[in-house]
Amino acid sequence: MSHIPVAERRTKIISREQVFQWLAQLAGEMDLVAPIDVDGYIFYRKIDDADEVVLDYTKPVLSIKDVFFPPTDKLFLIEQPAGELKILPPAHSTKQVLFGVRPCDARGLQVLDAVFINTEPSDPYYTQRRDNSILIGMACHEMGATCFCTEMGSSPDDARDMDLMLTEVDGGYTLESITERGSQLLKRFSLALDDFSTKNTAESALPISRYPYPSQERWLDHFSDNYWEDMAERCLSCRACAYVCPTCRCFDVRDEIQTGDDGSQIYARIRCWDSCTGYAYRRIAGGHNPRPENAQRLRNRLYCKFFYFSQQYGPDACTGCGRCIDVCPVGVDITEVLQQIAGITVGEQNNPEEVGVL
Amino acid sequence: MTAVTHNDMLPELGALATIKELGAEIKLFSVRLLNGGRQDYLPGQFAFLSAFGVGEAPFGIASARDNGGTLDFAIQRLGSVTTRLHELGEGDIIGIRGPLGNCFPMEQFKGKNLIVLGGGIGGAPLRPVIQTVLKQRSEYGQLTILWAARHPSLLVFTDEYDEWREAPDTKLHLTVDQPDSKWDHNVGLITELLERVAPEPENAVTITCGPPIMIYHVNKMLVERLGYLPEQNYVTLEARMHCGLGKCGRCNLGEKLVCVDGPVFTMNDVGEMLESYL
Repeated sequence: MSHIPVAERRTKIISREQVFQWLAQLAGEMDLVAPIDVDGYIFYRKIDDADEVVLDYTKPVLSIKDVFFPPTDKLFLIEQPAGELKILPPAHSTKQVLFGVRPCDARGLQVLDAVFINTEPSDPYYTQRRDNSILIGMACHEMGATCFCTEMGSSPDDARDMDLMLTEVDGGYTLESITERGSQLLKRFSLALDDFSTKNTAESALPISRYPYPSQERWLDHFSDNYWEDMAERCLSCRACAYVCPTCRCFDVRDEIQTGDDGSQIYARIRCWDSCTGYAYRRIAGGHNPRPENAQRLRNRLYCKFFYFSQQYGPDACTGCGRCIDVCPVGVDITEVLQQIAGITVGEQNNPEEVGVL
Repeated sequence: MTAVTHNDMLPELGALATIKELGAEIKLFSVRLLNGGRQDYLPGQFAFLSAFGVGEAPFGIASARDNGGTLDFAIQRLGSVTTRLHELGEGDIIGIRGPLGNCFPMEQFKGKNLIVLGGGIGGAPLRPVIQTVLKQRSEYGQLTILWAARHPSLLVFTDEYDEWREAPDTKLHLTVDQPDSKWDHNVGLITELLERVAPEPENAVTITCGPPIMIYHVNKMLVERLGYLPEQNYVTLEARMHCGLGKCGRCNLGEKLVCVDGPVFTMNDVGEMLESYL
């Protein structure tokens, strides 16, 4: 199912120094979010100093989703001056450039777009941030140990969802302009489009999939398997998988009371990340909980990823970034689940030589 | 990309016009929207009510249209939002978002015999169904109301029972699990009552709201003992939800979302869901 469309793209090669000069210009004009090193871990962060940006990294610990769908998002404020209640909508988001975005994370935004933008009614908080953002992608030069984007229809150099794309080559980086918005951004900086060459990017040579991707019928057939209970014996319901996931978007809504210096109180309606693997996720006020068992909740998350979500919104809710495998404290591996549903005994894989080759 | 013109997470403001005690820890709130507000809501739809400073929760709208410019909500004190709402007084301001979700197909119900089964606070979203039928009484067939609760103090809309009983072609049957000394109606489960009083399945539909276990057993009785088909049995399902807009993901039953695909389903729809609502 891996497929990169053949597209006419405009490219040029720029040096590492030019990349940093450009980043400095960008940081001077608008908010810049880019991968930086925080105590040995890579995170996408809003930065002021372009020199902080790292160019050599596999994938940031957290996905880019936080920028568009923050862990805690203020929906509005509720003021009660002299008894008269007023609802204050949030300020609009500002223009920003996201640099060094990995293809799996840009794919993740397409998945979130399907919920928050393309399904009516659109979500204004997410949509405004998307509208105000330009994505500059960075191709991965190799797949990480837990990466499986190629199983999910993408690839380490998938530029589809970017505005501009950088790929490391001998002597610097290939800069490709993917969208009109990307071209417009270049025009405003020293990287003028006039010396870009037009090239036909051939279909990328993708690594061979490790196992067949399970069909929708197979998911239907395996819903009542004991497998889920076996898996869930390990699951701690810690929700780490959902928090690092570029596509998990479930949330909780409640009010917070903020007290000003003068003692006056203002309420904030906030939404926070939540996950269907948590015990209380479905529990209602009367105490009824339709999913009290770990196995039911773990199964729901995995069915959402590969079965429910596509029926509700279109795409699968997994980009193959592998972060859930990285963080799971008890070794639940989403690719093992795919193999199980596809009917392949775990360990009985294709030739490992074919894995992770670009 | 889509231009954002509207924010569906922002509530409108409404005043609590009247608050009436309905039962033990149950109150009926009539909400008047400060801006005049939408009056085009339909039986079965729900809305989120905000108790500012605590949060918001979804409630079935308990009144039919043309309710004197207000929307009614019958609310049992159970969680943090309902506890705060119960502390508020007449004239206090709350937030309201809605109407949301689908509705009972009242047009399709015309000419049919209706059996309405309410369990406890589950009677709330069924009141607009009853009101709609009584208002256009000749448009519908027989109306049989089965109203149940654990205890007489948990029966809702008791002061409307005489009006229901007096309406033409309308019967009301009451039952509780634990009667008190004054109770002179049925004692026992709603399914036992249903078996005794249910009309023939021909040209009939049933409409149920109550705890999931009641919905399950009512449907089982109707299908296995009384000859009804699952598609004749309408239910409105409750689920934890935080947006009502198909975004927050919380109310899924398999690939269905209660907030946008429901809350009204037939038991045929429910039977095809991959996941149980129980």
